[in-house]
Amino acid sequence: MSETAARRPPYGKAEIASWVDNERGLIDRNIYVDPEIYEMELERVFARAWNFMCHESHLPTVGDYLVSYIGEDQVIVVRDEDRLVQVLLNTCAHRGNQLCRAEMGNTKTFLCPYHGWTYGLDGKLVGLPGDEPYYRGKLDVSQWGLQKAAKVESYNGLYFATFDANAPSLHDYLGEVGRLGIDQMSAYGELVAVDGIQKNVINCNWKIAVDNLLDWYHVNVSHRSAMRVGYVNNSMMQPRQQMVMLGEYGHTIGGPMLSQAQQAELDALSDSERAELDALSIEERAKLAPRITERRPIRPSRMKDLMGPVGVRAMGHPNIFPNLWIASRAFQLSLRIPRGPLQTEIWWFTFLPKDYTEAQRRVAMKFMTHSFGPAGMLEQDDGENWTFSTKSGLGRVARRRPHNLQMALGEDEMLEDPSGQKRIETVVNEHGQRWTYRCWSEWLQARTWDELRQSRSPVPTGRI
Amino acid sequence: MDFPARGSRDGSETSTERVLLQFEIEQFLYREARLLDERCFEEWLGLLTDDIHYWMPIRRTVTLDNIDLEFTKPGGMAYFDDTKTDLTVRVEKLVTGFSWAEDPPSRTRHFVSNVEITGRDGDEISVALAFHLYRSRLESVTDHFVGRREDKLRRVDGALRLCRRHIFCDHTVVRATNLSVLF
Repeated sequence: MSETAARRPPYGKAEIASWVDNERGLIDRNIYVDPEIYEMELERVFARAWNFMCHESHLPTVGDYLVSYIGEDQVIVVRDEDRLVQVLLNTCAHRGNQLCRAEMGNTKTFLCPYHGWTYGLDGKLVGLPGDEPYYRGKLDVSQWGLQKAAKVESYNGLYFATFDANAPSLHDYLGEVGRLGIDQMSAYGELVAVDGIQKNVINCNWKIAVDNLLDWYHVNVSHRSAMRVGYVNNSMMQPRQQMVMLGEYGHTIGGPMLSQAQQAELDALSDSERAELDALSIEERAKLAPRITERRPIRPSRMKDLMGPVGVRAMGHPNIFPNLWIASRAFQLSLRIPRGPLQTEIWWFTFLPKDYTEAQRRVAMKFMTHSFGPAGMLEQDDGENWTFSTKSGLGRVARRRPHNLQMALGEDEMLEDPSGQKRIETVVNEHGQRWTYRCWSEWLQARTWDELRQSRSPVPTGRI
Repeated sequence: MDFPARGSRDGSETSTERVLLQFEIEQFLYREARLLDERCFEEWLGLLTDDIHYWMPIRRTVTLDNIDLEFTKPGGMAYFDDTKTDLTVRVEKLVTGFSWAEDPPSRTRHFVSNVEITGRDGDEISVALAFHLYRSRLESVTDHFVGRREDKLRRVDGALRLCRRHIFCDHTVVRATNLSVLF
């Protein structure tokens, strides 16, 4: 997809590069508030990236659909007659009207409520009122279907779409780190979506919401009330035991890691013993397995095969660039959907492993309904921090001062295990956030996918 | 006037008794609304039975022929799916001194109207009502939560207590930073 003259970016490469100072760990506040930078993001990040759409179990039946977003482009995600997942731009080819007004449902066709142009589940124009009498049979319906995503692919049942035909395959896009992030959730077996996507709006820039998921510095302060009432086990935070993995194109996994001792205790448990512990309350479990109280649900033994002896100890949050958080502490995904530079919609998708016992389901659901989402014991305290970290950038003087992401800059080592897996083992840090912005800057500087492929940073080695 | 006496135990309830019951229920609802507005959360908890189910399902924009999908069902995802213990923890969180979403505190006003007795079963009375929860926060945050509630009250030792609160909001995307207030 080429950038049109009307949308020619107002900023050149050097200027874009100056917003993210990798050497000094400084971020220009303008990137959170400038409408022109936001327009560039829609073009060069969202219209180009692989965007998460849904899980296969969201659309079990032919005709099942949900409406989602790629940047600000609304799309219909629908299972067609051939059981393929189609991603269709939700705009009538006639006058651009929004076609599908519901956010989910089941249908045989999509009828435009304006003039009645009707589309099949694969996006083809199948109904044209007045075809003969008004159009005199002259409109070539084969040319006026809905715009489809350039590519739709899935990994472990998670469907992604891109509007850029030059994008690499989803597999290559995710790379090792992106795939590991998804594997962390998939390792529990086949997942089935729990009905209901939580949605709320926060007046913050989407990037602030994204980088926060890699920020384990805020937890002790922002979420102190949740910790005080015993909702979050303090040992979960482990500020002195952190692992960060960085992936090409901006994917990251960052956060706590298990100690060798904790992993050894876990290794000693069979999968059925793990399932039994999973069905217990936090208190009951603490008595039986004191070292693993903070892990919920307990990781199955196959996680070690998937992630390797080092990766399996990573308990942090994966972000699939640009905006998909794999909340792998349980079975949830969170999308941070941009709504202008100063607003973000937060969507929470929730899953359960198909093979879970009723007791396991109950405990997992309890955890998931009470942690995140707007009423979540953790998330309710995040939004205002994000709002005001964004909004302060509107001040003309405040905008001159950069955000500081200097924690642990140059203090750590990228370790490589014999399998080639790279990670940083350290204390609380800002490596993940710096990497996210560094890659974001590269996305914005590159005019095409080919250029991005050439210019993207490889995963760093050595001192970091 | 015709007041429904559905489910009343012996069917012999007089109109006056029904009016008094309506009055008693409304007074109960106003009182607990005021307790929430005045941040008397502990006292509010005292009005709930130990087996309360406090639940706010997710509402979706759907077409009429998919209207059965409008709300998530019990067991599906929800914004609130709380027991008394969960609500007690929420209240404990609010008074820790570190509950930033409510410190400085939101200024709330809980309105209830259209109070209708929809069912009677022994000591339990089902009540449907319309609510409007207004929240003013910090310098310029203004939130409105509007919808229908299906409450159930139980007479315990002569006094009314809340044993169910099912909250059906009218919005499908929560137009607020969070739901750190109680409904």
